[in-house]
Amino acid sequence: MEEQSQDDGVSRRGFLLTSAAAAALAATAENPRPAAAAATAAPAEVVEVALEVNGKARTLALDPRVTLLDALRERLDLTGTKKGCDRGQCGACTVHVDGRRVLSCLTLAAGLGGKAVTTVEGLAEGDRLHPVQRAFVACDGLQCGFCTPGQVMSAVALIEEGHAGSEAEIREYMSGNICRCGAYQQIVQAVRMAKEEA
Amino acid sequence: MARPSMDRIDARAKVTGAARYSADHKLPGMVHGHLVTSTIARGRVVSMDLDAARAAGGVVEIYTPDHRPAFQGALTGLAAVFAETRPPLADREVHYHGQIVALVLAETVEQARDAAALIRVTYEAQPPNSSFEDAKEHAVSPPSVPGLPLGVPIKEPENVDIKAALAASEVTIERTYEIPPRHHSMMEPHAAVAVWQDGRLTIYSGTQGPAAHAMELSGVLGVEQADVHVISPYVGGGFGGKAFTWAPAMLAAAAARELGRPVKVVTGREQLFTVTGHRAASSQTFALGARRDGRLNAIEHATISQSLGEDPGYRTTPKYYAAPNVHISMKITPGLDLPTATIMRAPGDESGSFALECVMDELAEELGMDPIELRMRNYLESTLKGKLPYSSKHLDECYRVGAERFGWSRRGERPGAVTDGEWQVGMGMATAVLDAGRAPTTVRVAFRPNGTATVGNATSDAGTGMWTVMAMTGARALGLPADRIRPALGDSALPFAGSSDIYGAVGSAATATVTPAILTAAREAIAKLAEHAATAEGSPLRGADDVRYAEGRLTGGGKAVTFGELLTLTGTAEVGAQGTSADLDTTHAYASYAAHFCEVRVNRWTGEPLLSRFTTVVDAGAILNAKTARGQITGGVLFGLAAAMCEEGRVEGATGRISNANLADYLLPVNADTVEFDVHFLDHPDTRLSPTGARGIGELGTVGAAAAFANAVHNATGRRVRTLPITPDKLLA
Ligand code: FES
Ligand code: FES
Repeated sequence: MEEQSQDDGVSRRGFLLTSAAAAALAATAENPRPAAAAATAAPAEVVEVALEVNGKARTLALDPRVTLLDALRERLDLTGTKKGCDRGQCGACTVHVDGRRVLSCLTLAAGLGGKAVTTVEGLAEGDRLHPVQRAFVACDGLQCGFCTPGQVMSAVALIEEGHAGSEAEIREYMSGNICRCGAYQQIVQAVRMAKEEA
Repeated sequence: MARPSMDRIDARAKVTGAARYSADHKLPGMVHGHLVTSTIARGRVVSMDLDAARAAGGVVEIYTPDHRPAFQGALTGLAAVFAETRPPLADREVHYHGQIVALVLAETVEQARDAAALIRVTYEAQPPNSSFEDAKEHAVSPPSVPGLPLGVPIKEPENVDIKAALAASEVTIERTYEIPPRHHSMMEPHAAVAVWQDGRLTIYSGTQGPAAHAMELSGVLGVEQADVHVISPYVGGGFGGKAFTWAPAMLAAAAARELGRPVKVVTGREQLFTVTGHRAASSQTFALGARRDGRLNAIEHATISQSLGEDPGYRTTPKYYAAPNVHISMKITPGLDLPTATIMRAPGDESGSFALECVMDELAEELGMDPIELRMRNYLESTLKGKLPYSSKHLDECYRVGAERFGWSRRGERPGAVTDGEWQVGMGMATAVLDAGRAPTTVRVAFRPNGTATVGNATSDAGTGMWTVMAMTGARALGLPADRIRPALGDSALPFAGSSDIYGAVGSAATATVTPAILTAAREAIAKLAEHAATAEGSPLRGADDVRYAEGRLTGGGKAVTFGELLTLTGTAEVGAQGTSADLDTTHAYASYAAHFCEVRVNRWTGEPLLSRFTTVVDAGAILNAKTARGQITGGVLFGLAAAMCEEGRVEGATGRISNANLADYLLPVNADTVEFDVHFLDHPDTRLSPTGARGIGELGTVGAAAAFANAVHNATGRRVRTLPITPDKLLA
């Protein structure tokens, strides 16, 4: 019998997040989160971020640990962007920052001052769906729908990037978005259809 | 005949982000829960240092084995067999790596997460018994579970001497097939948002069976079933992993009651691998005895697995081939320090079909016979036991049409015969059989003044297309366009019949179960509406004795009115009725079938096996919505192929830890791994099963797909890989 201690007081991710945030605040980073100081330090740990989300200017007062994904979901009630893994491994959280696709679970909100964020909620114009959204509906590019916001955001970006040339190219560039339901062939059809329209 | 085909009615909500899944709900005053899981697989918690976590900002409460929210009971019904019966935080004992040891509740997600990371746990660790490999040698016969046929030996005839029958056969082969643990890995992690009001629980929790989820939670929480309201209109994938209730939902509900505040618990991706169920590893040995002409004389099928929940022998072997001597048995390895095994898409059928359809391929090779020919020589016309005829079986047509579409005649008979540059090209096929059935269920259909009609049942749609199929069936039954039907599902307050349909969308039976009940309920609702037209104050048809309904209009006494106008005139919110489908005709057996054809290309130098073509021909009765049915088949096939191509939960025997419990290391197929599948539906409605003639398809594609891949790899390379997945190292070794 052996005594063993679960001493992962700072998980790798926790470390990365807190240290990145601390660096951003130009605060001391040698001990990213001293436990004893946490309670007292908590009220001071707020950063203000002014950014644009789906065309609207927003100013957020945030805990620096907040990821873009959690800022959208928990602070702005934009829950269309999904958390599939929170580790950059599934693509469900894909959004656009200044027109480029990023994984919002790996992006700290505090670093996005002055940037423009587009989420799946920001694609349609009123009742009129974006051509990619229309194509996903028409081609049945979804089943459970949980990966769909990320797939749609990736599809919009890859068409704009000029990476929707062939089926093989679409498959390659859509491979950062896992679909456990296996709607891949319908997703490829949707990307092709949307590209024709674009 | 053009097959009906309609866009998913839930698609718009899903492509715009408007669809709210469990974790998307936010309630005033809600606290966020974060789970802490054990870093040993066996032993006990000696102490927990919570000081730092308690001191961290925003922490509201920390539950541990010494201080846990109250649970009054245990899981009941099938969940007692297929889910984790020990309540979370029950005591300080640790039974597997990744077991919940604490729940931290805080005002924000970040506060809960980071406080959880500050908890220090000291364990008294013992060497775990986590290796299935080692445990196989000590496998035992499973205890019998009343009412469950799983794990019970099957003998045909009753006094069969299988060893003698095998010995007396002209040709015999014996082979063992190994499948590693697999994880559902649905994209939506288990999550629950729970709130109590006046002793009643409302819980947003993704589930395949809202009513069963309510029943199970009520048992655990010690409240009436009617006092638990499960809301789950959108489910981000289930695959059997959301058929039963797991700890995250129990903890959310219990903590919310304790704290008097709404609680959200979202399971982390790596936590999902351990705190919810998985498919256990299995080892299957087949011995086949045959005549030189291919006729089977004896089938022996022996399985070892962690639990009896996915008995491949029971699920597979009696349904495929005729043989005069059959012996099926199962052993289990109880007491492993591993997470709980449950059911996963095509439970037993997937693993069983892999082994059976591979061993048939091996026998065909041994006999020098075409694999389809061997299967046709042993075609099963009635059930092995009881000799019930099949209601509608067109598997022979599946083989014929599939071989033609795929170009089976171009298959090189000799393995390794076909090459294309540095690629070895091979073809393989396999059969899929999936029991079809349905339970009587209750549906409510109601007319409303705005000209729409509701169709409600406590089933679910985790991507199956049920929303749309309900709308289409309601439209057909009421003679209305589908956009005037408002389906309702994913809510435990909706109707269901009882114990047989309470589990909602499981066993690929939801469409076959719900659609006939819609027809019945529609008839009842139309009768109610006609009566209302003839009697209600304000009705233009009042007093008429010849009221008839057709396509949304009522006529009688020479007058006509739409039901929307009628209900508006009579000032009635709705007129509707419940209807319950008839019992199943038990004079026949029911199953869905498919023939899969797979082509792979294996690189001569790297051993990499690439999927290059796949054809499947499906005999599943009437196809109610070709569009969503196609997705069920293509997705199902890929789910099955994934077992052959890449999926494998890796348990470290020494620590009991799953070393690849994340989506970067637990490999799932991505878009670039797949090709466009050629899916063809035979259209033979099974009207003996139900008036809609539809059988289940949700799991059918999954069955047999891995065997088709493995057989193709063998045809390409001459190498027979019997341990999944088929990775390059196994082809180069
Ligand atoms: S949630 Fe961001 S990649 Fe999975
Ligand atoms: S639609 Fe379910 S994961 Fe893609």
